[in-house]
Amino acid sequence: MEVLVNLNSIRSALAGRGLTVASMIPDAGGSRMEKASIQLARLVEGISLQSIPVGPVQAPPEPIAFLDGVQRSEVIAYAGASPIVVAEIAAAVRERRDRRLHTVLEDRRRVVLARPGALDAAGETLADFHRVPLESEEAPHPIRDLVHAIQALDRARGALVLDVGYRYRSRSDAWLVVDGALSESPCWAGDPRVVGVSKSHSILPFDGQDLERYLRLPAGYRSSIYEPHTRALAPVRAWALRLWPWEGKDLLHGLVRIEVAPAHGSTQSADAISRWILAERTPVSAPDRRWDRLLYGIHSVEQYLRSRTA
Amino acid sequence: MPPEAGPIGRVVATELKPSTPHQFHFWTARESPIGIGSLVRVEENARVVYAVVTDGFAYCDLVSPLHAVIGADGDPQLAGTEPTARAEIRLYSAAVLRQVPEEPLQPVPLGSVWLASDTDVILALRMDGYTGHERATGIPVGLYAAGGLEAPVYLDCDFLLGPEAAHLNITGVSGLATKTSAVEFLLGSIFQTFPAHKGTVAAVCFNVKGPDLCFLDQPGTLSVEDLRQYQRLGLTPAPFQNVRYYAPLKPDGVNLNTLRTHESLSANTEPLVWGLREVLDYAEVVLNRDDIDAKADAFIDFLAERVVGREYLDETLRTKPFLVQSFADLEDFFRRIFDFMEAMGKGGEVWKTHHVATIRKVRNRLSNISTRSKGLVTDDGLANDLPWGSFADRSVHVIDVAGLDPLAQDLVFARVVSKLREHLERRDLGVDHVIVFVDELNKYAPADGPDTYVRKMLLDLSERGRYLGLVLFSAQQFRSQVQRRVVGNAGTGIYGRMDMDELATGGYATISPATKIKLATLPKGELMLRHPHFTQPIFVKFPRPAVLNSREGIERFPPAAELPFTDAVVRHLRQFDRRISGEMVRALIDGRREEDVRRALAATRRERPADVYAYFAACLGRRMTSEAVSPRRGIPALSQADDPYGR
Ligand SMILES: Nc1ncnc2c1ncn2[C@@H]1O[C@H](COP(=O)(O)OP(=O)(O)OP(=O)(O)O)[C@@H](O)[C@H]1O
Ligand SMILES: [Mg+2]
Repeated sequence: MEVLVNLNSIRSALAGRGLTVASMIPDAGGSRMEKASIQLARLVEGISLQSIPVGPVQAPPEPIAFLDGVQRSEVIAYAGASPIVVAEIAAAVRERRDRRLHTVLEDRRRVVLARPGALDAAGETLADFHRVPLESEEAPHPIRDLVHAIQALDRARGALVLDVGYRYRSRSDAWLVVDGALSESPCWAGDPRVVGVSKSHSILPFDGQDLERYLRLPAGYRSSIYEPHTRALAPVRAWALRLWPWEGKDLLHGLVRIEVAPAHGSTQSADAISRWILAERTPVSAPDRRWDRLLYGIHSVEQYLRSRTA
Repeated sequence: MPPEAGPIGRVVATELKPSTPHQFHFWTARESPIGIGSLVRVEENARVVYAVVTDGFAYCDLVSPLHAVIGADGDPQLAGTEPTARAEIRLYSAAVLRQVPEEPLQPVPLGSVWLASDTDVILALRMDGYTGHERATGIPVGLYAAGGLEAPVYLDCDFLLGPEAAHLNITGVSGLATKTSAVEFLLGSIFQTFPAHKGTVAAVCFNVKGPDLCFLDQPGTLSVEDLRQYQRLGLTPAPFQNVRYYAPLKPDGVNLNTLRTHESLSANTEPLVWGLREVLDYAEVVLNRDDIDAKADAFIDFLAERVVGREYLDETLRTKPFLVQSFADLEDFFRRIFDFMEAMGKGGEVWKTHHVATIRKVRNRLSNISTRSKGLVTDDGLANDLPWGSFADRSVHVIDVAGLDPLAQDLVFARVVSKLREHLERRDLGVDHVIVFVDELNKYAPADGPDTYVRKMLLDLSERGRYLGLVLFSAQQFRSQVQRRVVGNAGTGIYGRMDMDELATGGYATISPATKIKLATLPKGELMLRHPHFTQPIFVKFPRPAVLNSREGIERFPPAAELPFTDAVVRHLRQFDRRISGEMVRALIDGRREEDVRRALAATRRERPADVYAYFAACLGRRMTSEAVSPRRGIPALSQADDPYGR
């Protein structure tokens, strides 16, 4: 992971205030791993889960846009046993015209996450950072507090991504491809121009035979449409789509979950959108490890944001 | 004029590709006017860097070609149809021409990159030092063109014609490199712009190939684009005003050995004829050096100092004094010596300390010259030469040696260059600077092969000429085949379209691969320049020379047919006086010995009398009876046995 620059002067200022300076980049993956579970969904196409060929790939109409966000954090000091985490979060939309991607919207924020007491101790030193106080009844614990901080940071980034996406949608009628699930936001869940493409399968919508069929979709096939168990408020339509042959690799290789507004819950829409997403599997986003599921457009937003986060 | 819209790129430096004081890299948008050879400016804070683009790279974010294969499912037809084109980069390398300030010399800053403007080109090439002021010394050589900008490029005549540096060499493949054309154009430019405060200048050109330089005084056909370029360079498209052609005669002694024999061009075309004196002074050029020992040298000196051109009396040979002025006289002199020695019988092996073998050898060599240079070297001693001492400012003297035997060519080179040198040393040539143009330099100063007199002379010229105002402009297809020091001494180097194999030779190691490719595909009329003020080679284009090219020239002025002796004489005389008719001349020379006619003709040419016919008739003298006509005695070859050195 890259290091946030120019933190050294802040560190010495914090040291001057009696804090214990630190320099540690937390492991992003660990705390974000969702708990694996099965949350049964409701089929809305047919009566049992089918694998359905989506037909020949077809590039989506232009312009089309991709949205993603990044975050980067670093423990900068400790107030007693409690860490102070500084981070930068950023989100951007890159729009495609004539096969070329251009950044059309971008926002970034520097935040500091810590218990309120620690924030007070840091005082003016972190005046330039947006403060995220982490309230807690529990006694300070460096690891537990860090997990909380990273979860808060995830939420802050999610909010920024939503905000940037909302701003884009309010000025453009182009399709917007979002990295992840739609169901977390009521305003997207109903948006007929937003497609969520999820790489994560920690929560699976079926069990038994259905699940086996779901996990064994051949390349170019989708599952029947279903309505995921609503974790948050907004109901959406979803299906799984296999982008690359998985045989001999892994059950999850090339498997993505597509989420759209209920308005696009028809067989026709699901087929058409699947054909688009299938087209978007190239160019491949290798050498990213997740290239089998990471669309190039999303990858490009990520690359762009990282290149601008010094 | 400059499209100063905004920066077109940005310097990037990484640990692997850092900026140095001499080189840097920058990226541009996918579409940009940048190309190999473009001049750019980098600005950052108070530092400005001028540079020339030497290489370019494009790549995308693909890490392994395998990912492209996977993306296209192994089907080349699907490649390139991805909905998103991959992110790509255009990355260029540039070599620094100049930094401002020059001190302290630092790595190129990571600033924005601009396409050079008119003023930038002047500064980048340091032309501000020698153009645009009262004592300017700039000579327009061509136009630098890139991204809609077109800026004149100047050479500094202090570095082209001395004294700071001098000489020019041009190289490139046949026909496409436009070498001869470029030299013609540049000579024209020099004649038009050589500043008055630098004195006077003339050119001596050796025409070594067909009709190459035969029409320098005739206007050529120029395109609208050519004319526009002339205007942009501030030059007038006009042929040379003052050109004189010199060509040896053919062996018959009356027809000119050149392709410039069309009647309407005869006014400034004259024979180049040398006599015994002229040849003997340069004997060592033509006498194969290894084969001439001290003894032969001594005998040649004896001939040159005691015999040729003065009265020489030796009663043992002849009671009447000798007056040796021509090869024929010399041959008679030799005859007498051999007769005398024969008569002596045994003991007659030495004449005046010279061994008979040495005498025979010198005689054979000299007769060889007169045979192989027939037409250049006259038997009868009346020479017609360049106007030594009265060279006019801006005059061109073309010597056509294309039809001559290599030995005779060497003789011409050696004598002309030596004479130029002598006169320039004495400051009595008539001009302060002379440009000597030698095409096909590889023939006269080859990289390998014997160290001939001509090669040594060219080397000497390239090393010392600039102090004298004697400047060598040379051309050849393959620079690698020319003696290194001769081309190495050329302050200015020009490269037209080049051969890839030639570019692969050691002499081009400093040129970047992309620049080599550009050189190997350079269109006609574009050149790469090296000049002392330019830190890096620069590409320019130039217009066609404003003179008739050789192909059209030959069509418009087809060479006159070679005439029988009498008709040729008539033509010569009519050139001096149109009123002279064929009948008059025929009546006069019928039955005369050809050498007498030639001598009379040469005398008339030299004198240019008011009454040409009368003068010519007088030279021929009283009409001789036909009995007096004896066949001209050639020089009989001596048998091998007689001449231990014979070939
Ligand atoms: N500025 C120019 N632009 C375009 N064409 C040109 C230009 N100058 C000369 N040419 C053309 O290029 C051709 C070759 O020119 P030139 O005889 O000068 O070449 P060269 O390099 O001397 O060839 P060689 O090695 O055979 O002597 C000619 O036909 C001429 O018309
Ligand atoms: Mg030529």
